[in-house]
Amino acid sequence: MKDITDVKEAGLAAIEKSTDLSQLTQVRNEYLSKKGLVASLMSGMKDLDASLRPAFGALINNCKEELESALKLKQDALAMIALQAKMANDWIDITLPATEFPVGNLHPLTLVQQEIEDIFRSMGYKVVEGPEVDLDLYNFERANIPADHPARDMQDTFYVDSQWLLRTHTTAIQTRTLEESANNLPIKVVCPGKVYRRDDDDATHSHQFTQIEGLVVGENITLADLKGTLQLLAKSMFGEARVIRFRPSYFQFTEPSVEVDVSCHICNGKGCNVCKGSGWIEILGAGMVHPHVLDMAGIDGKKYTGFAFGLGVERVAMLKYGIDDIRHCYINDARFLSLFKRFE
Amino acid sequence: MKVSKKWLNDYVSINDISSVDLADRLTTAGLEVEGIEPLACKADLVIGEVLTCERHPDSDHLSVATVNCGDKVEQIVCGAPNVAKGQKVIVARLGAVLPQLTIKKAVVRGVESCGMICSLNELGVDEKFLRPDSAAGIEVLGVDAIVGENPLVYLGIDDEILDVKQTPNRADFNALWNVAKEVGAIFNRDVMWPDCECAASIGKPTNLYVGSTTVGCSLFLGKVINKLVVKESPRWLMERLMAGGVKPINNVVDISNFVMMETGQPLHFYDLSKMNVQEITVMNQRAGKLVALDENEYELLDSDLVITSDGKVIGIAGVMGGDDSKIDVTTSGIIIEVASFSPVSIRNTSRRLDLITEAASRFTKGIEPLAPYKALDRAVQLLVELADADDIEETVQFGEVNHVDKEVKVTLSHVNALLGTSLAMDEVVDALARLHLRPIVEGDQITTTIPSFRTDLVIAQDLIEEVIRMVGYEKIVATLPLMPQTIGLLNDQQIKRRSIQKILTSLGLQEVVSYTLVKESFLDGVLPMADPIALASPLSEDRKYVRNNLSQSVLEVVAYNQAHKNENFNMFELSQVYGKAGSQWRLSIALQGELLGNAWSKQGVNGDFYAIKGLLESVFTQLGFEGSRLRLTRNELDHHNFHPYRSAVIQLGKEVLAIFGDVHPNLAKVKGIKNVVMAEVLLDVLLAQSPAKIKFNAINKYPKVVRDVAMVADAKLEVETLITAINKAGKPLVQSVEVFDIFTSPELGADKKSVALTITYQAKDHTLMEEEVSMIHGKILDNLAKAGAVLR
Repeated sequence: MKDITDVKEAGLAAIEKSTDLSQLTQVRNEYLSKKGLVASLMSGMKDLDASLRPAFGALINNCKEELESALKLKQDALAMIALQAKMANDWIDITLPATEFPVGNLHPLTLVQQEIEDIFRSMGYKVVEGPEVDLDLYNFERANIPADHPARDMQDTFYVDSQWLLRTHTTAIQTRTLEESANNLPIKVVCPGKVYRRDDDDATHSHQFTQIEGLVVGENITLADLKGTLQLLAKSMFGEARVIRFRPSYFQFTEPSVEVDVSCHICNGKGCNVCKGSGWIEILGAGMVHPHVLDMAGIDGKKYTGFAFGLGVERVAMLKYGIDDIRHCYINDARFLSLFKRFE
Repeated sequence: MKVSKKWLNDYVSINDISSVDLADRLTTAGLEVEGIEPLACKADLVIGEVLTCERHPDSDHLSVATVNCGDKVEQIVCGAPNVAKGQKVIVARLGAVLPQLTIKKAVVRGVESCGMICSLNELGVDEKFLRPDSAAGIEVLGVDAIVGENPLVYLGIDDEILDVKQTPNRADFNALWNVAKEVGAIFNRDVMWPDCECAASIGKPTNLYVGSTTVGCSLFLGKVINKLVVKESPRWLMERLMAGGVKPINNVVDISNFVMMETGQPLHFYDLSKMNVQEITVMNQRAGKLVALDENEYELLDSDLVITSDGKVIGIAGVMGGDDSKIDVTTSGIIIEVASFSPVSIRNTSRRLDLITEAASRFTKGIEPLAPYKALDRAVQLLVELADADDIEETVQFGEVNHVDKEVKVTLSHVNALLGTSLAMDEVVDALARLHLRPIVEGDQITTTIPSFRTDLVIAQDLIEEVIRMVGYEKIVATLPLMPQTIGLLNDQQIKRRSIQKILTSLGLQEVVSYTLVKESFLDGVLPMADPIALASPLSEDRKYVRNNLSQSVLEVVAYNQAHKNENFNMFELSQVYGKAGSQWRLSIALQGELLGNAWSKQGVNGDFYAIKGLLESVFTQLGFEGSRLRLTRNELDHHNFHPYRSAVIQLGKEVLAIFGDVHPNLAKVKGIKNVVMAEVLLDVLLAQSPAKIKFNAINKYPKVVRDVAMVADAKLEVETLITAINKAGKPLVQSVEVFDIFTSPELGADKKSVALTITYQAKDHTLMEEEVSMIHGKILDNLAKAGAVLR
C-alpha cells in the first residue's frame, strides 16, 4: 500500500516539475503507459488475497485518477503558456493605417432634392418629372406667360428654335401634369428637375440649376392650406422652431402669389449675416394656381382650386451647408463632395 | 426702383415714420425694400462761418481758418484752394464719421486742427451730381445759411432713398405718384396730387402736325411752346432729380425727367428752332444710322420705331432722342412729344441696342393708359412756372385712348374660400377702398371700379390678393388640404435610379452632377444619341450643345480632380442625355485609383477593368438582371473612346446595355487623364425589361465535392471557353467553377498561360460517390483538352 502512495507522490511531483509538454509526455509514459509504474503496481494485485483486492484496486484507481487529473491540469496550464507565447509573437502594430472602405455619397444637390421629395412623399405626394428640352407651350404659354410678356425678361431663355427651349423652371412639369391629370383629379405632386437660364456663371448665378415645385389641385384648396404645407416643410428642413411668413409677390402662374420667408435657422430670427439682419430668409415662391392656368389645362377653375410652390435646391443646399459659391455644386471637387458623407 | 423719402412726402405725409418702419411695412405689403441709402452721409455736420483765413506758416497750399460753428469757434487746417474769409461752409466736427475718414483732433505741420471743412464729395454725394464749382473744392453755402444748423437740411440732401424691388405686374410703380398712392393705402393716409388738371388745354391755333404710319404708336400728343427760358432748375427740382438718380441739366430737360418719374410717362422735348418743319411722324421701315443724345451712333433696323420730321429720322421712339434736335442753353422754344409706343417693339429695340434708358424701361413695362394726358398737363404747368413758357399752342393729338374704368366683381364667400379665412365684409371693403378701387356692396357681391393705373387688376383673384395684402398674411391660419388620402409614390424608374445610387455609393463611389451644356467635341462620345441639339443663342462655344452622351462630362470631372491630385476618386453620374428624337437616362462610371484597401499591405482593390465589370454586375444583379440574360462580348462598337483590346459590351437580350473598359489612350491624352476606366450604361434598356423576382428554392442538403484543375492554354484563350467546356461536360453535377490562379512564365513557353480552376460538384438528390465524381471529372478533362487546355 505504501508503494502506491509513494508512486503517486513521486508522480505528482514529477508532473509539477515539468516545464513543457514534452517533459509532461515523458512523465505520462513513465507512470501511466501500459508498462508504466501504475500498470506495474496493478500487476501486483493478482498476488493479493482476494479480500484485499477491492481496497487495493480502489487505491490504484485513485492514484491513477489523481495523476491523470494533475496531468490534465498541468497540460492545460502549459498549453496556455505556449499559446500566450505564440500570441505574443503575433504582435501587430495597431497604429498602421486601416484598410479603407471608402464611403461614397450622394451629391449634395441629390441629398437635398431627395430629402424634400421624401418629406412630400410622406404627405402623399407623387414625384413627377419631365423633359428638360421642352416646348415653349409648356414652359411659357401654359404657365400664363404669353409671347412678348415682360415676365419673360426675368428668365432669359436658351432657345433651340422657335418652339423648343431648355425649360427655365420646373413649372413646365406642372403644366404637363395639369394637362395629363385634368380628368383625374385631385393632383398632389412634387416636380424636381434641372432648369436652365441664360445667366453668366458667378458665385450666385448658374446657367444650370435645380428646382422642386409642388402642386396640389382639388376641391376647396386654400391659401391657408399652402401656408400649413410650407410650414411643415420649413420645420422638417430647418428645425421644429422655424416659422414662415408670406409676403405678396407676383408670378404669372399664380394669383394670389407670395414669397415665403423662413425664420433664420442660424440666428433664430434675431438677425445675422446669413439673413442679412432681417431674421428672415427668402426660400420659396408660391401661390394659388391662376384660374387661367387651370382653364388652359382643361380644368374647371370654378369647381377646383389649387396651390403651387417652388424652391431652388442649390439655394437650400447653400443655406443648409453654408456653401458660399454655387459653382462648387458643378465643379465636383472630391474634397467638396466628400463633405457630405455624414448622416445628418 | 429708387424712391426718395422726401419726394414721397410731397404727396403723402410720412415724415413721422422711420425709414426702417416704412421699409418693413412696404415689404410685407409687396413692395420689397432691398436697401435704404442716405443721399449724403449722416455725420456730425454743422454750418460754420469762416472768421479768419490765413496761409499756413509752413505750407504753400494749406490754410488755417478759424470757423464759428455756433456753439464754439474752431481752428481748422484746410487744403482746399477756394476757402476764404466770410464763407458759410460745411464743418465736420470732431468724431464725425465720413465715408472715407473719421474726424479727429490733429496737428498738421505744427498747427492744431479741430474738424474739417468739407466738399459734397467728401460727404458721399455722387460725383455726377456735383456742379463744376462744387467739384473744385469745399462746398460754399449761400449767405442765407444759418451758422450752427444742419447743412444737409439747408442743401436739401437730408434724404433717404429706398431701393424698392418692382414686380412685373406693378408697372404703375414706375410713377412715383402711384407709389405714393400705395403707401397711402398701406398707412391709410390721404394722398395729394399737385393741381395741374387741364393745364395743357390752353393754347392758340397751331400748324403742328403729328402722326404715325405704324401701329407701333397708338397715341401721340404734340404741343408747341414758342417761348421759354432755359436756366438752372430751382433747388427743390434738382434735389428731387438727384434723389431719383438723375443728373440735373437745365430747367427744361429737368422738367421732362421730373414729370416722367412722377407720372411714369416718358416725354420728349425738341428744340423748336432746330426743326425744319413743324411735323413729326412715327415710322418704321427706316433702317439706317442715328446719332442719339448720348452722342453715340446707333444702327437702326426696319423693325425699329423711329421719330421722323421732314422725312429725316430725329429719334429712336421711346428709347432716346436724336442729337440734332436736343435742348441746349440756346433753346427758346420747344415741341413737346408725349406718346404711347408698343412695349414689345421698344423692348426689342432697346435690348438690341443695349440702350435700356429710363424711358425705354417704362415703355417696356407698360404705362397706364391715361398717363400721357396727366404728363402733358403737369409738364405745361411746370414749364409755365419754372421756364416762363409763353406763346403756347394748342395740343395736337394723333390716335386716341379708349380707356373706360373696368368693373371687377368678387364675392365675400369667394374671398374667404380661396384664402381659407373668415374675413368680414367690412374688412374686405375697407381694404379695397383704401386702394381706390371704389367697392360697392350688394349682398355677398362686391363690385369694384378699377382706376386706369391698376390695369393689372382683371379677375376676382386679383382683388382677393389685394384684400389679403392690405389685411396682412399673418391673418391666415395655417391648415392642411382636406382631400382624399393619396400614397406618396416613386415610379419604377425613380426607384431604380435611387437603387443604383445606393448600390454605387455603398461600394465607395461618389455621385457627381455636371453641366448639361457641352462643347462640340463632347458630342463624339460613347453611344451618342443621333442629331444632337444645338442652342440657337449659346452663351459660349463651350456650352453650345445639349449633351448626347454622359461619359465625356464625367471624364471632365476626372481631369479636374487628377489635375488637383485628388487621388482614388471614383465616381458616377446619372442623367438624361438628349438628341432631336428624344431623351435617354444614362449612367456613367469612371474609376481612377484604388476602390478599397491600403497602400502598405499591397492588398488594395484597384479600379481597373475587372473592378468596373464587378461594379456593373453588382448593379445589374441587384436590379434583377443576371446570368444568361446578360451577354458579354468584346467591344466592337466603339474603338474611338475605348481601348479596343481592354473593353467590352454587355447586352440585355438583343439590346446593347453598356460599354465599359479602359479609356482609349488617345482620348486620355486629349482629356489630360491617365489610368481611367469608364462605363456608359443605357438605363432605359434596363428599365424596359422586367427583372427577375425573388423566389424561394429549397437549400441543397447534400455535401459538396471540390476538385482543382491546373492547365496550360494559349495566352489569348478566353477562360470563359474553358468554363463553358466544364459546364457542358459536367451537367448536372457541376455547381460552380471558380478561377483561382492565372500566370505566365518562361517555363510555360511564350504565348502560354497557366489557368487553375476549382470545380464544385454537388447532386440535388444524393451524396456523391467518389467514382461518380471521378467519372465526370474525367469527361471534363477530355472536354478541356478539346477546348485547348492541357493538364499541367
